[in-house]
Amino acid sequence: MSDHFSGPRALSEPAADITDVYAFPAPDSPDHLVLVLDVFGKAGPSAVFSDAIIYRFRIRPVEIAAMGPEAAFAPSQTEFTFDCTFDVPSGTGNAVRPVQYGRCLTPDGRVISFRADDENGGVDDGVQVFAGQRSEPFFLDVRMIEKTAATGKLSFKPKGSDTLYGTNILAIVIKFDWRKMLNGGPLFAVVCETLAAGKRPVRIERVGRPEIKNVTLSWKQFDQINRDLEIRDLYNSEDAFDVKPDYFDVYRMRMNANLAFHDGLDGKIDWPFDQHGNHPLTKLLLADFLVVDASMPFAEASYFDIEHSMLEGRSHTTPGGRWLNQDFMDFVYTLYVNGINGPPINDGVDAPIAWSSKAFPYLAPPNPTKAAVA
Amino acid sequence: MIDPSGISAPAIWPAASPLTLTDGTIALLNLQAQIDGLEGHWTSAETATLIDLLILRGLILGRISDYERAAELANRAVGAATVDAAAYMARARTRAVFHRFAEALDDLDNADRMSPDDATAKRERAVILQAQGRYHESLAAYATTDDRVSQFERSAALTGLWAERGEADTAQRRYLDSLRSYRGISPFPVALLDFQLGVMWMRHQRLEEARTCFEVAIARVPAYAPAQGHLAEVEADLGNPESALTRLYPLAVSSDDPDYAAQLARILGEMGRDDESSVWRRRAADRYDELTATHREAFADHAAEFWLGPGKDPEKGLRLATLNLEVRETPRARELLAQAIDANIAGATSARCFSVT
Repeated sequence: MSDHFSGPRALSEPAADITDVYAFPAPDSPDHLVLVLDVFGKAGPSAVFSDAIIYRFRIRPVEIAAMGPEAAFAPSQTEFTFDCTFDVPSGTGNAVRPVQYGRCLTPDGRVISFRADDENGGVDDGVQVFAGQRSEPFFLDVRMIEKTAATGKLSFKPKGSDTLYGTNILAIVIKFDWRKMLNGGPLFAVVCETLAAGKRPVRIERVGRPEIKNVTLSWKQFDQINRDLEIRDLYNSEDAFDVKPDYFDVYRMRMNANLAFHDGLDGKIDWPFDQHGNHPLTKLLLADFLVVDASMPFAEASYFDIEHSMLEGRSHTTPGGRWLNQDFMDFVYTLYVNGINGPPINDGVDAPIAWSSKAFPYLAPPNPTKAAVA
Repeated sequence: MIDPSGISAPAIWPAASPLTLTDGTIALLNLQAQIDGLEGHWTSAETATLIDLLILRGLILGRISDYERAAELANRAVGAATVDAAAYMARARTRAVFHRFAEALDDLDNADRMSPDDATAKRERAVILQAQGRYHESLAAYATTDDRVSQFERSAALTGLWAERGEADTAQRRYLDSLRSYRGISPFPVALLDFQLGVMWMRHQRLEEARTCFEVAIARVPAYAPAQGHLAEVEADLGNPESALTRLYPLAVSSDDPDYAAQLARILGEMGRDDESSVWRRRAADRYDELTATHREAFADHAAEFWLGPGKDPEKGLRLATLNLEVRETPRARELLAQAIDANIAGATSARCFSVT
């Protein structure tokens, strides 16, 4: 799953477990950028945000440092953050969900208050913040992904079974006028984090690109050097913009091994390793942040377009980033297996239970629980 | 038997550590949300997670029905996937909860055969050996998992082990190590640890220390029913029965565990409120009979305590205390059996005296 249940530490605190991150130009307002952070996969109706966690959005202006096979980004040292925190909810009354209030500290030091589950959220001078339970926007067939890894054969069925069908997450959505709020750009790198609050906040999890930890780093069996090592918690503890050298080679080797496994699933090599023994995608994917061009108009399916253009030595024509409705598993398998040079790979799951809309807060309202439906 | 004079606890118990933890009310809402969210989504990994969550909720809310549901799911998981080591491990955990230790170890043997290098199974084995009172073997089993578990898990496991052995200083040192090494934000693991230490102090009759531990556990998770129940017991013993009653009434009414009704019966009896006491005694007695019929190993100890105390049936208490010692040879089980034997001898003596007069 995109980043659901990604590592032992995230599992122990579901409200800190980032399931997905999205960044896209607002479909309903061209001057605005939208960032989305989802936590708590398969959240039951009573799920609330933790009062002990800072939900952080980190944004850095980024330049394209190199094109072609050595394609790379150069993030600025300047950083802008939105920090969201939550109170202990008050009494439940007759409703299952208690009332919870939160605050968002903007990069310019303003505090925007909001009530969780309020569709309009909190609003202040070009910034709108929503937090609450919504329908899970991600969709995939985990069993067939696991079977693919176990058998070494693409195991997707024409009609798959969505592991996340009808489930809910907790989402934070921030929409803001990027020219007023950020300096630099229009290319920005976005990473979301959950941190244990306190005098010195400690990072619990971080997510930039989808399916880095689960599909791209979690399988141990293809890694001939560190095949016993569960590296996801280590990886989570790293600063996305400043990965320390101590374990860098461990991540690199694991990613090389797993990307090579995926490349071989169609029986041919689309991604020959470079002269340093690296898969051509490893460097770009270890730059684990979403890169979005805020000046471009909204596009439906533009994840990795900027990176793909860079690899091909041309200018990008879409905003990149990541929109909520993109069929990501189809995309990532097509990218990893045949480099988008062959037929699209379909994982057999083409839609979530409810599509996200193009109006704030974008994600669909929460689904009733299976028990309630029954 | 432990000699309490040999224990050197600090004069002032350290205050609750400044850990950053999710508020206990939120944590409980989210535990419920995790359980609800998994309903109807049962891959084998999800079933194992659901089983763990139900056991955790059972521990926190003192809900036997959660343990029963977990056991049912685990049985079904083993039935559905007879070659799944995780299913056997999950069932081992539920069997251990009901003190069916020998069967739990059989499940772990099966899990070991399927997945010989799995550190989780080794840790589960250590926990079960500890519960059986096989402390040396348990320590050896913990040692085999040393490099696979976090420092917190290791220290917490050893806190429990030394506490059960009655070695209070060592347990307390391990407890402080555990708090220092905790890197999570869930309040449950640390509250469970506070509780464990509280029980140790209670058994050593160090009631002030026990009270502090239970209060800390409740501060972390206000709905922690066994901590509330034990705090009530300690408060009553420290001469504050009214506060104890206030804590116990809601638990006794809402819980499917008879311990709270049993405590109410005892405290009300000691206060001379015999009519009220007998109401709660009957309620506890009926439920203990039910539970010892369905889960005899699991409730032998608490039921024995009840029959030796407010239940006033020392013979029944002796039978259950004997069974309890067969299930686990811990210092506490030996002590309980000794109490049961004493109670029966005293009862027999008094009966003889009565028949002479």
